[in-house]
Amino acid sequence: MTVASDSQRQAQRAWSGRLGKLHRITFVDVVLWGLRVGLLLLVVVGTIATLWKGTYDARHWFDFFMFGLTIGGVYALIALGYTMVYGVLRLINFAHGDIAMTGAFSAYFLARSFDRTGFLDAYPVTATLGIMLLSMAVCTATALIVERVCYRPFRHVATLAPLICAIGASFVLQHVFRGMFGSNIRSYPDPEWLKGNVDFLGLSLPAVQPMVILTAVAAMIFLYMIVQRTKMGMAMRAVSEDRDAAALMGIDSNKVIIFTFVLGACMAGIGGVLYCFVYKQIYFYTGFLPGIKGFSAAVLGGIGNIPGAMLGGFFLGVIESIGPPLFLDGLGVPAPYQLRDLVAFTLLVMVLVFRPQGLLGEALAKKRA
Amino acid sequence: MKKKVLWGVSAIAIAGLLCSASFTAQAETKGPVTDDLGVVEIPKDAPIVIGGYWVISGPDTALGLDSKRGVEIAFDDINNQIAGHSIQFVVEDDGCNAEGGQTAATKLATLPNIVAVLGPACSSAATTGAPILWRAGLTNVGTATTAPSLTAADRKPDYFGYMRTIYSDKDQGFNDAEWFYKELKCKTIATIHDGSPYASQLAKVAANHFKELGGEVVAEEAVTPTDVDMRPVLTGIGTKKPCVLYFPTFVAVTAQIVRQAPEIPDLKDTHMIGGSAVLAPGLLEAAGDAAKDFRITNVDISPEAMGAAYPQFVEKYTAKYGEGPINAFHAQAYDAGVILAKAIEKVAKKDDAGTTYIGKKALHDELFSTKGYDGISGPINCDEHGQCGAFNFAVYQFTNSDPSTFKTGENPKKIYPAK
Amino acid sequence: MSFEVVAASRLEERRTTPWRLVINTGLQMGGTGLALAFVGILSMFNNRPIIVGLVTLGYATLGLLFFVAGILVGIRRPFATLSQMMLGGGVAGTIAAAMVAVLPLVMSFVSLRFIFLALDKPLLDMLTFSVKPPALGIFYLLVLGVVLGLLGVLLVALPPHIRRPLSGGVIAAGLAGLFQELIRPILANSSVTKPLHDLLYTYTGLKLQGAVIVFCAAVAFIVVRDLTGDQVAAGYSRLAPSTRRNIRWSYLAAAAILAILFPLYAGNFVGQVLLMVGLFILMGMGLNLEVGVAGLLDLGFVAFYAVGAYTTALLTADSPFALAHLSYWQAMPIAVLASVIVGIIFGIPVLKVRGDYLAVATLGLGEIVRVIVLSDAAAPLLAGAKGILQIPRPSIGDFHLTTPVSLFYLALAASLVAAYFAWRLEESRLGRAWMAIRDDEDVAQALGINLIRVKLLAYGLGAAFAGLAGSIFATMLGTIYPHSFQLIISINILALIIVGGMGSLPGVALGAAVLIGLPEALREFGEFRFLFYGLAIIAVMRLKPEGLWPSAAKRREMQIDAETTAVQSASVTVPKT
Repeated sequence: MTVASDSQRQAQRAWSGRLGKLHRITFVDVVLWGLRVGLLLLVVVGTIATLWKGTYDARHWFDFFMFGLTIGGVYALIALGYTMVYGVLRLINFAHGDIAMTGAFSAYFLARSFDRTGFLDAYPVTATLGIMLLSMAVCTATALIVERVCYRPFRHVATLAPLICAIGASFVLQHVFRGMFGSNIRSYPDPEWLKGNVDFLGLSLPAVQPMVILTAVAAMIFLYMIVQRTKMGMAMRAVSEDRDAAALMGIDSNKVIIFTFVLGACMAGIGGVLYCFVYKQIYFYTGFLPGIKGFSAAVLGGIGNIPGAMLGGFFLGVIESIGPPLFLDGLGVPAPYQLRDLVAFTLLVMVLVFRPQGLLGEALAKKRA
Repeated sequence: MKKKVLWGVSAIAIAGLLCSASFTAQAETKGPVTDDLGVVEIPKDAPIVIGGYWVISGPDTALGLDSKRGVEIAFDDINNQIAGHSIQFVVEDDGCNAEGGQTAATKLATLPNIVAVLGPACSSAATTGAPILWRAGLTNVGTATTAPSLTAADRKPDYFGYMRTIYSDKDQGFNDAEWFYKELKCKTIATIHDGSPYASQLAKVAANHFKELGGEVVAEEAVTPTDVDMRPVLTGIGTKKPCVLYFPTFVAVTAQIVRQAPEIPDLKDTHMIGGSAVLAPGLLEAAGDAAKDFRITNVDISPEAMGAAYPQFVEKYTAKYGEGPINAFHAQAYDAGVILAKAIEKVAKKDDAGTTYIGKKALHDELFSTKGYDGISGPINCDEHGQCGAFNFAVYQFTNSDPSTFKTGENPKKIYPAK
Repeated sequence: MSFEVVAASRLEERRTTPWRLVINTGLQMGGTGLALAFVGILSMFNNRPIIVGLVTLGYATLGLLFFVAGILVGIRRPFATLSQMMLGGGVAGTIAAAMVAVLPLVMSFVSLRFIFLALDKPLLDMLTFSVKPPALGIFYLLVLGVVLGLLGVLLVALPPHIRRPLSGGVIAAGLAGLFQELIRPILANSSVTKPLHDLLYTYTGLKLQGAVIVFCAAVAFIVVRDLTGDQVAAGYSRLAPSTRRNIRWSYLAAAAILAILFPLYAGNFVGQVLLMVGLFILMGMGLNLEVGVAGLLDLGFVAFYAVGAYTTALLTADSPFALAHLSYWQAMPIAVLASVIVGIIFGIPVLKVRGDYLAVATLGLGEIVRVIVLSDAAAPLLAGAKGILQIPRPSIGDFHLTTPVSLFYLALAASLVAAYFAWRLEESRLGRAWMAIRDDEDVAQALGINLIRVKLLAYGLGAAFAGLAGSIFATMLGTIYPHSFQLIISINILALIIVGGMGSLPGVALGAAVLIGLPEALREFGEFRFLFYGLAIIAVMRLKPEGLWPSAAKRREMQIDAETTAVQSASVTVPKT
């Protein structure tokens, strides 16, 4: 008897607790839920309608997915630079996209001469490595200058000044390179070994896609090893955890910050070259958009979180590629591809609404609001 | 004390008000010339000031810079001299947007002694810029602004000072659709534009006329100018298997489409046709090998202009700027510079002291009556609405992907109409 | 305070010998010169006369580099005696010149133009002074370096009462030549100042006599001020406080009236620029409520601007897309209201998002609005890329506000009203609640602040300012295109409130004037104006990280920071040395 009443009471308590919670539902929650349900409905209806219409078959979807992974790999590499710098400095390096451009643009001239002399076709691996090394070197140099000019003076001042400085640096980088190399759109060489298709699990893919994805993944694994296994990487993690405590442990935060910028720049250098191998074109403004996308990817994954940036990059790339045809085509929206950024940013906002700290990020509340 | 200062300041302000010049054009007589819109007086050793406004910063730089260079070469060709005066060519940046056009035009209108204005490259900038210039009595010769409304027969009086050496989208789109339907014998079309006023209107006009002819428009797609991955949109269009894919976009987007289309098996039999915005070595540079055999529609340029004048132009361009023409429409800009210089020569009157007088209305009328000039961008014949570039339809095909072989007439070669 | 100071304050003792310092200075200046040449700035400058027929901006810049090398050596004082210093200055100048001279040396043998477009024949001619053989020109360049380096040291060595007028005069003449395109029309378009124009300028630039006149005027001004400055100050301090206050206020009033009436005199171009500045001040004040006061970092602010502009266009335009044909004055409040609604709608999803995540979320929202406005999908409603044309100008009675100057006064009036509101808001209970959530959201909530209400109000009220700006923008242009609402506008607004000084209203005005006015003033530099713009932003932030006109609270904070830093670093560094 008593046992039964106990459990009854418990149930009652639970129920009233739930009621109490219900009490605290505000109109904002209702709107948010409405938004979620509405968008979800839109996505589901759109998807079903698209699949029903059957415009695309499985082969197309696979292609879309691979396109997405390819560009996602580049986004991820660029996102890493944002995320690592954010980790140690708690600042957004706004010029990062343009830093990637500087490397890829400079390396263009090496790539062109390799192509003209036939070196690129004869020794694909060596030539590509050479191009990437030059790109990384230029990116590193630029990043160090940017760090020196825009970040170091503000290291102990809590302002948004470095953010604005970096915006200024972004203008300067673009126009310096326009001045040096011209406003013409340059085109990366297209060597024979990138033109063909390769077979992968019985499906044929343009060779450039696996090359980019694998290179990107290899670079990321390499980076992850550095961050996890080396002493410098450990110092970096320590600084990003708590700079003051790290300093008390005898870690030279200056060195760590420089190291972080170098690592980020190297990833951007690789990313920039890969971007150019896929899309061929480079001009002084090329860096801006991948920069914004990389930044979004970093936030999407949870800023400051290295695996998060990688995941965010791939995720953003795939959604950009699959989203417009899958969600919008079926709804009869005219010119769905024009709305690619709409899909990408809506998704970004939704992820942040559901998970304000990004996909893999930690709750930010206590650290910094 | 306070009152005194305030009075003093007010007095200065009122004096300033009274003497501040008004910029509206009004009839005046100077020296031997009387003109309804005012007279520009150029003393003996003073330069002739010619304004220009194009986009020369930001992502669209190539578009405007190319036009600006076209005009600079036109002026070089006449040794930077008009009517015995050196040319002072003042170029303002319009950022390829409406507010930039307004600011740039306002700035140009305040220049002392300015005679006429060339540019811009973006229709949005012209829409806000041209009325301001006309209010100051300045004729504006557009070089790459193709929006039909700018030279429409029913345009507002604000735009009476505006003319252009480039055709209107309406003409090109119309002719393109005719060709697709009648010559290529296509029954289905797909279009892609990049969200710019130029490409979107052109694609729209072509699609609409194609429909009128009895064809079917299977897709009207759009991308953004910064898009690099065209495969999804091309795959989507491919599923509809259009007979012709028309994309009158700018160099970057066109090059991406041309490069990526071969990867889409469904588009194997589709005619890929671009617009005249890519008639430049820049396309060959950007598109690489894929550009070979690519066709574009453009104005029918006379064999004389293609044979001698244009190759020379490209040579001078490359020598001067270290890179080949970076966009199309430098030819229209060059022609605009030339007809402006000719018109000024004609209306300029000199007095005994060597001072030159130029009537603004006279210059306007002279420019609007330009006829029969064989430009490197095609024949120039102005009508009363300021439309000077007619669209005599032609199709060109690229024959080689090496930018250094670019030579209108050979690469790309004219393939329609056959002589 | 944090322990960051510990890591930072390790004094890096640089052991530099005097000669190394001289060499470094020379290398820095030479490197700058090379960079300018590679980027093409030197070539462009060379086409621009400072004094017609005498000096081009290119040579002036090059000379300035060598001169600065000397000045830097003079300021850093590596040597004891003047003769040694002069030697040092000369060497630094020579090194700088030698570095630059490498370029013509290489260029006369091989053309680097297949990569670096700016390294063309005219540049070579410039660097060798167009003399044959080029080696002679290179020799001239080196001589120039020596002489200017020496002069630089000499300038520093001069007593201040000679140095100040001299350098002031040179700077004034340089500016008069540099900004001639800006100054000339203003002078020439008015009959009163026309004679002055003719005296100073030719049609292409500053005359030699003009340069001398400007130089002398500046010298005279500085000398007179130096001589009488102390007396005036002394006389002023002897006045009764009330008189002093009166004088101060009347000066302020006079300055304000002059500033307000200036566009009337200076004409449409200045009016147009000030109009844009006014619009950005409006938006800056709105964003300042969000970022500066409430601490909500917003990178999608352009969305509200677009909403205001498009609402106005749709309600007033004479175009097939118009929903109604209201007058501007009827449409404006509706546009503001629409922006408020959109602001609140934007605010709801991102209520729980904080810090940099919020920046990205709002960036995304702003981009969403832009993409929608541009898209074909919304084109039947919003006209897509073609834009909405024929938006009428406002009129008061029979007076049509058509000129930029008249619209500037509209923007000015709107800014003043908005500034009043912004000021009252900051001081209000709501404003304090905003500041509380800016400083610590959790604590604010614990104090009983309704976060949802307060945050949504911040978004909504902030958006109202942008909506007003957008509304004026639409009527100013008479036509609107989606391309006017790029991400860069959001970035610019954020930049201007930070450059001005966060949370400070006068700072917003100053920031807008600098960031929007500067690119207009830099029109002289054509394609390179945004390069100089970027450099200027960096310079401002480096020199004044707290902004040009920080709020009083911020200023106090910085001061305390600086003091503690000084105290701590002093106490920490002592044992280390």
